[in-house]
Amino acid sequence: MKNLQKLPLYLFAVLTLGFASCESEDPEKENEGEVITDVILKFQEIDGSNNPVGSSFSFKASDSQGIVVGGAPTIETVTLTRGKRYQMNIEVRNSIENEDITQEIIEEADEHQFFFLGSAFTSNILSISYADPGGKLIGVQTRLTVSSSPGTNNTSMRVVLRHDLNKSFSGASNPNFENFVQAGGESDLDITFPIIIN
Amino acid sequence: MPKFPLKKLFATLFQKLWFNKYSPPTFATMIQKVIFSIALFAFAVTQVSAQKCDLVLRGKILHLENDQPIEAAYVWILETRTGAVTDQNGNFVIRELCPGTYTVTVQYLGHKEIRETINLSGSTTNQTFKMQEESMDLSGVEVHGHRDAVQTTTAVTSLYGEALLQSRGESLGESLKRVAGVTTFSTGNTISKPVIHGLHSNRIMILNNGIRLEGQQWGAEHAPEIDPFLADEITVIKGAETVRFGPEAMGGVILVNPPTLPTNKKHTTELNLLGGSNGRMGNFAASHSGGSEKIQGLGYRVQGSVKRAGNIRTPNYYQANTGMAEYNFSGSIGYSSKKLGIEGYYSYFDTEIGILRDSHTGNLTDLIEIIQNGEPFIKPDFTYEINNPKQVVSHHLAKLKAHYHLSPEMKLNFQYGFQLNQRQEFDRRRGELNARPSLDLELFTNTLDIFLDHSRKSSWSGSVGINVIQQANSNIPGTGVTPLIPNYDMVNGGVYLMEKYLKGPLEIEGGIRYDFRKVSAARFIGNELQEAELDYQNFSAFLGGLYQLSPYFAFTTNLGTAWRPPNVNELFSQGLHHGAAAVEIGDPNLNSEKSLKWVNGLEYEGKKASVEFTAYLNQINDYIYLNPTGETFVSLRGTFNVYEYLQADAFFYGFDLSGTYSFSEKFNGYLKGSIIRAKNTETQTYFPFIPSDRMDWGLAYSFGNLANRITLSNVLVAKQTREPEFDLAPAPPAYALFNLGYNRKFKLGENQFNVGLQVNNLLNTEYKEYMNRFRYFTADMGRNILLKLNYQF
Repeated sequence: MKNLQKLPLYLFAVLTLGFASCESEDPEKENEGEVITDVILKFQEIDGSNNPVGSSFSFKASDSQGIVVGGAPTIETVTLTRGKRYQMNIEVRNSIENEDITQEIIEEADEHQFFFLGSAFTSNILSISYADPGGKLIGVQTRLTVSSSPGTNNTSMRVVLRHDLNKSFSGASNPNFENFVQAGGESDLDITFPIIIN
Repeated sequence: MPKFPLKKLFATLFQKLWFNKYSPPTFATMIQKVIFSIALFAFAVTQVSAQKCDLVLRGKILHLENDQPIEAAYVWILETRTGAVTDQNGNFVIRELCPGTYTVTVQYLGHKEIRETINLSGSTTNQTFKMQEESMDLSGVEVHGHRDAVQTTTAVTSLYGEALLQSRGESLGESLKRVAGVTTFSTGNTISKPVIHGLHSNRIMILNNGIRLEGQQWGAEHAPEIDPFLADEITVIKGAETVRFGPEAMGGVILVNPPTLPTNKKHTTELNLLGGSNGRMGNFAASHSGGSEKIQGLGYRVQGSVKRAGNIRTPNYYQANTGMAEYNFSGSIGYSSKKLGIEGYYSYFDTEIGILRDSHTGNLTDLIEIIQNGEPFIKPDFTYEINNPKQVVSHHLAKLKAHYHLSPEMKLNFQYGFQLNQRQEFDRRRGELNARPSLDLELFTNTLDIFLDHSRKSSWSGSVGINVIQQANSNIPGTGVTPLIPNYDMVNGGVYLMEKYLKGPLEIEGGIRYDFRKVSAARFIGNELQEAELDYQNFSAFLGGLYQLSPYFAFTTNLGTAWRPPNVNELFSQGLHHGAAAVEIGDPNLNSEKSLKWVNGLEYEGKKASVEFTAYLNQINDYIYLNPTGETFVSLRGTFNVYEYLQADAFFYGFDLSGTYSFSEKFNGYLKGSIIRAKNTETQTYFPFIPSDRMDWGLAYSFGNLANRITLSNVLVAKQTREPEFDLAPAPPAYALFNLGYNRKFKLGENQFNVGLQVNNLLNTEYKEYMNRFRYFTADMGRNILLKLNYQF
């Protein structure tokens, strides 16, 4: 057991090694890949055979960057004309990373779905149907019909994007499905747009 | 003697003292009450015990050179031809002695025999014998293994032997529920953190073979990274032990200790095979230890375990994504001689835990909907598959320990520990981000202890030492999320001194310690670099005593201060917490928490009954807690509640009671219970997640040469009526559970084979536990039938 006399030396070596290697890394900037900062509703008037009429127009909802307590997103008021039909396309963006997230949502069609709720639908001012290419029920592309005799000019539309839901849940094929939470999953977006009908 | 009216009087006095609604407790009145209660107890005890030929000789056998207890030493009284063998703590008791003078001999292999004359007159005599090792050249000398059993005057409870065997297959937190006063703070049924006297996470400490476990313990959903299978004894110290163990040991300390390494050539192996019906759990563990034939004193042990379980079932449905997998390994090698002891130890813990799918909500609306629903929306079938959200955690711990006897009275100790904790948390995310963790942390910890123990043949013993903790936390880049906590470096240095005086039935102990801590943290929030340099320092001290009141009664008391510097998450949190649909905001200006805990224990050990009663008071100044601000944060995602970290003075007090009673050799009963009260004394409000009153009692019947035992037990948990002003959902109602167990011991030649069949939640009762964070989303675990096989050879 002669070696044991060198023990303190070994211990010291292990110690220096251990303590020297123990330093935290410099922090790095993180690309916020998942944050949605802008949601744009693009409206294109269509005729009876779904052909475009005139030029399109859009309304935007955007978040302040980072967490601001008491802050609220800026949401533009949507203006539509009574009796007309529109094709609505939703564009979802991350302006921090300058990314278009819409494509990701379309690629994961089996995990995502938009639902459209609020007084615009319950008061029969608007009616909506899914019109995504390939017949998928996502809601990135929809068709809206504005009532020709709405009871009021001021209404609102709540747009909810659900992620990881059971799309075959009974009732989930309805874009106005109120009990969407029962289909499981979580909300990635929940925005209420004010609407004025001219 | 008018026994009965006296008893009644004590009971009424006691009731009046503690359950008087009209006097709100302050620290001073509480102390008065406790002192009075203790006096009452002591008086009651002396009233009840009668005097005759029932004297008791009680004591402890220790190694002279290091004060370590000697197990299996033989104590013999020549005149009466009666004797006893010391237990693993070196304690022995010889009862039913008449007053007179006796010759006592103490024998232990390789040690000089002690022969002393003792005069027994009082009801009890307490004697400590210290044995000196004989020279090594004697043939047949067995070198003893050194074991650092805790020697403290604080209330201590250990889980070992059969109790530990019955807890096999459970996580550390679940196992410790067997100790009165310990509950769990859990997240579903797979993540549970031990709670001692209402405190958990960074307010208690867990030691893995003597090294303080340093994981990301701040998180409510971060379970301790330790395999209970590596232990042959789990000890809970219920006092403030900052002086001995360093900052944060405020509510108590949990020691997870592996068995002593063998020092002879005996080889032992233990195999455990367990299966559970709920979650279709399978668990296998093996350990093997042996000693070298060539080098005396050289021993080793290897140990490992594997655990796999799938979706857990409540009485009526499966919880989605609640499977888990765990792989553990540990190994150690040690050498022990007369003067030198050295040990190397390594343990590895690896786990993957699925998190209940519906607990991960998008915003406040989602959260409210699921709470109103009372159960998850997704109820899948059984599967072992683990999907996001999930946690993947691994923990490496390596330790090098050595001691050297400078002289028969002086021992120099050295202990170095290295730890690496890797934690990844995955959320449900879009696209390729789903494969990336949203929290990815790597935590390195170095701990160094150097201390000098001294013990003399006289009654004094003690130690003086230094302790250094160095820590580095890094976020692994690429998560695509602003880190919840920053990267940081921390250094903590401490010096301490403890002394103990031992004389007859009395043991007095005290100590002081000074610590300083330096934290430097940095992270990017967006493009902005946020940096902070923080310093903390503190003095702590404790004073404790143990007194053997009568042959069967021992009283302990311990008054200790403790402190805890604020944790990084409390200082710097800023982000979304999906499980609570909350934004949590830290405060870099928080002060250290400082506490004063007074624990009193009364232990009775009779022939038929044993009782352990613990009462405590804990005043915590600047207690840090998460407070709902009432404000909300609105984003395109929806609305979130905003919480901030605040400080206020807090006062905790409570009792633990545990007892056993033997109706006959075959028929036994036990009872355990605890009561905790905790209040914010500044706002006169209650804190969230304080365990409600609970009790556990059972009856056991043994038959067939006592090799078979059937146990029926009943757990009663009251509703937590002392709720905070804000909670997402009201406290769940009270519940009662029944458990049934059957154990059988077989002797297969020299070998031991144990079979256990347990049914937990026998009646498949649907319930929610207040201390489970997932009570918002789901009912707790339903019936679980477990088969446990244990083979030792």
